[in-house]
Amino acid sequence: MTNYYDIDDILSEEELIPVVFQKAATGVGLLDPSSETHNVEQGAKIELPFWLAHELYARQALTMSIPPCFNQMTRKEIQADAASVDLRNRCQYFYELGCKIAPLVGDKTIGSFLLYSFTNRYKEVLSKAHTASFTVSTKPLTLLTKEETHLYEAAQSSMTAFKKWRMGGSRFEIPSVLGRKRKPVE
Amino acid sequence: MTGGGEMEGTEIYGRRACQLVKELASAEPGQLTSFNDDMFNQVIKECNLHYSQFYELTKKMQEEGLDVQSARNADHFGMLIHHLSLIRNKRCLMAYVFKRAEIIQSLSWKVGRVLPEEIEQKLSDPEKRYFRNHSSALQSYMRDMGGLDLTVDMVPPKDPYIKVRVLDDIGVTAMGDRDTNLARHSIHFLKRTDAEHYIFQILLVLVLTGDDGRAHRLKLINLLLVFTVQLAVSLISVHTALLVLS
Repeated sequence: MTNYYDIDDILSEEELIPVVFQKAATGVGLLDPSSETHNVEQGAKIELPFWLAHELYARQALTMSIPPCFNQMTRKEIQADAASVDLRNRCQYFYELGCKIAPLVGDKTIGSFLLYSFTNRYKEVLSKAHTASFTVSTKPLTLLTKEETHLYEAAQSSMTAFKKWRMGGSRFEIPSVLGRKRKPVE
Repeated sequence: MTGGGEMEGTEIYGRRACQLVKELASAEPGQLTSFNDDMFNQVIKECNLHYSQFYELTKKMQEEGLDVQSARNADHFGMLIHHLSLIRNKRCLMAYVFKRAEIIQSLSWKVGRVLPEEIEQKLSDPEKRYFRNHSSALQSYMRDMGGLDLTVDMVPPKDPYIKVRVLDDIGVTAMGDRDTNLARHSIHFLKRTDAEHYIFQILLVLVLTGDDGRAHRLKLINLLLVFTVQLAVSLISVHTALLVLS
């Protein structure tokens, strides 16, 4: 069980999952843009956020399918060159969502696919972070998922801390909330 | 249909609350953004709508003579969706308030009892109250400890005195047993505990001496070690999570 207040966990559950309703539901027509009534009909194909989809799935109200970020095309691309696939664009919470959805949809290959993508991208993330620690480069960041961005930042900050240690630095740190702003000198 | 019209033209359930949480996620770590009153109230309104629609569906089922607990008809699933959306919205709102409260708590340790104006503007009224209460609790705790100031630098200093340069005109201030004129750009040799407070408010800057540099290095080695261990632990946990799945 993850932390109730965990922001990343909350956001990862907002990812949309394609579902097919097995039961009708009244008063929630908003969920189905093609519906003209205020109801969702049986057999309606729509996309729901994960937090709603998995609860309804647990009550057999709908069937879930695998979201597009785990489809064959993505898998082929990852196999070809894992590090250069833009996972952020496909799903910011690629690994988290994958871990959550794998036991639900009964697709045994998702787990190994996630592991494969992570291990193959991991090396690249770290080496990029270490070499680029002082030059401001944001380009590799645009391809990374949230998890990988954390990793990248962690590696980078340890590198900066190391370099700072070698040079020696100030004992006192100004609280980050105050920023680096100083009163302008007249 | 019951109350459906009210929600028309609005966002899909839980989307606004999620935007609110996203705002937190995109802010710099440890930095506060202005309290989003507008969005917050909209989410609460959405919660109320969910509640009233949930209630209407319950009433409808009861009128039809169905058992709300066991019936599994379309109304039941409608109710379920409203219920789940309500819980989701609640979680997002709670997370928003909780994360901000954490930052506000850390402020009273880092900045002291009085907030700079640019930060205070970002707080909502209850948050300002929370900050005041938290710092006065901290103050009274420190008083009970016999006047021990817990907010000072945790690393014991090599020298009780430090050399500082004044960045802004502070004026004549009581430093220990005598008054010191802290005029801008003047350099002083002050008691560390007296100066620290001003340093954190960016009114003084430390003039580095050789000794300080060395102490700093030791601290950074520690930091680096702690950090590497954390990184390793987080990596291992990710790996095991993924291994379990495969």
